[in-house]
Amino acid sequence: MAILINNRKYDVIVIGAGPSGVSSAVNCAKKGLKVLIVDLNSNTGGQIYRAPPKTYKSISKKLKENEIQKQLSNEIKKFKIETAYNHTVWQVSPGFKVNAFNETSTIQWQSKSLIIATGTYEKIIPFEGWTIPGVIGLAACTIILKAHHFIPSKKIVLAGNGPLLMLVAYYVIQFGGKIDAIVDTSSKIDWIKSSFSLMTNPKNFRDGIKWVFKIFLNRIPVYSNSTIEKAFEVDEGIKLKIRNLKTGKAKNIISETIAIGHGLIPSTDITRLLRAEHIYDEQKGGWIAKVDRFLRSSVRGVYLAGDGAGISGALAASDKGLLASSTLLYDEKIISQKEFDQNTYKILKKLDKYEVFSKAISKLNSTPKKIIENIDNGTVICRCEDITKSEILRAVDQGARDINQIKSWTRLGMGPCQGRTCQYAASKIVAEYLNYEIDNLGYLTGRSPIRPVPLDRVLGDFDYEKITKVEAAPL
Amino acid sequence: MDLRVSNYFDRSKKVIISVNNKKIEAYEGECLALVLFVNNIKKLRLSPKKKQSRGIFCLMGSCQECVVLIDDKKVISCNIFIKDGMKIKVGDFDK
Repeated sequence: MAILINNRKYDVIVIGAGPSGVSSAVNCAKKGLKVLIVDLNSNTGGQIYRAPPKTYKSISKKLKENEIQKQLSNEIKKFKIETAYNHTVWQVSPGFKVNAFNETSTIQWQSKSLIIATGTYEKIIPFEGWTIPGVIGLAACTIILKAHHFIPSKKIVLAGNGPLLMLVAYYVIQFGGKIDAIVDTSSKIDWIKSSFSLMTNPKNFRDGIKWVFKIFLNRIPVYSNSTIEKAFEVDEGIKLKIRNLKTGKAKNIISETIAIGHGLIPSTDITRLLRAEHIYDEQKGGWIAKVDRFLRSSVRGVYLAGDGAGISGALAASDKGLLASSTLLYDEKIISQKEFDQNTYKILKKLDKYEVFSKAISKLNSTPKKIIENIDNGTVICRCEDITKSEILRAVDQGARDINQIKSWTRLGMGPCQGRTCQYAASKIVAEYLNYEIDNLGYLTGRSPIRPVPLDRVLGDFDYEKITKVEAAPL
Repeated sequence: MDLRVSNYFDRSKKVIISVNNKKIEAYEGECLALVLFVNNIKKLRLSPKKKQSRGIFCLMGSCQECVVLIDDKKVISCNIFIKDGMKIKVGDFDK
């Protein structure tokens, strides 16, 4: 199968069909723009409202998240927006050319503007044994439970920090699974302190109370101020050593599956490819594309919707989509200054309110220094290339002072995940070791393909005889 | 214990897939990575240097850890939906 060049030019391509991607696409389509929305999943929803597989038939009982996803899909259909689901974007170049592949082929689309609504992936701080099969992400757990409708295993330990711990616990219990323990790096006081800010968003706060209540009623052991220090395989499953960061006490637990997560990292794959400016903001998830108040990036024609330019959560996502797309419509002179001001005034006010909530969440998700120090030197940090903490520190000892130098020295971040899984933790480790501000280390230069591309989908159909052969150079 | 939750959705028809020539029952359209996981097939491939077993991790197409072979082609299994007769290879398939 060859590369297909789609000659239709779009006014705007929206990458990502989560809540912010959908609201941006709809807003642009309403004003008559030719819009294409692309997503690697088979439907709208993104990760937060990830759609169940198409073969699942809904019965009377409904899950709230699945209902919201249906509404998003209905919006797309109502405005007859062109969709490219099941397409993985692997290259975006100025102009803008967007390259993607699906199950059979590769395709290139062109557009005048881009709205990047690629959301986030999970932040996970490594520990010795985190590569054992059976150790998975907390966010992965939400997908297993709410989109695929499975319980990950009979027994599970949830670890890390932030609201996802509680949400996953709630659904595991609700669906009939057993939680052996919750291991939280935060303290109970951290949670109580944050609750005042969390109350600014009553809808989410009520959900949170419901989750915590369920955990309490089911007498799930909660280890606060604690982290998993080590995991190893045993006959019965996975044995964990849990360390209390305050008292130093250790405890062993055996379970089947370990789900771990320390918050979310905004996806900057595409903005890094486009050489947009990025800034470091720990509270917003680390490196993020620099945007103005109206979500314009530093590259003309590129706008960021959703969590991509800083975590603010699912409720704010659709508003950020509206804001980014209204700015695009204004820049393209499709709406007047007056309409733009009217549109954005309310949204900006709402977003300011969400900010209080998301700051509180990000505090609960902050990475304690101690868990970075605690990582054993033999721990694999870059999973793709099997690079350990001591190999990273050796490169630093030899003079590497920038994350790209560490990449050249060690191959960290050079594997198929392109550093998405390890960049945050590796930078934290090095910053800690050198006593550096983390932003001094820079970020990995964007390189395509941002996702591995199967070669059979780019090679094209050809006969060997028809290839023009060039004479070999004389020796 | 079946780890499928059936309170909200009916699955489609039952089909048979094979994993390293062993037959496994699943429902059409289910996520391959999860069908393997709940059938206790957790070790999907080996890491490049240390040859450690690796399995599903992020489940959203980011980490690339859940690679398996389907019809001898490498794919990430979290993005594959079960089809009848699918032939999957896991383990040390790089040699």
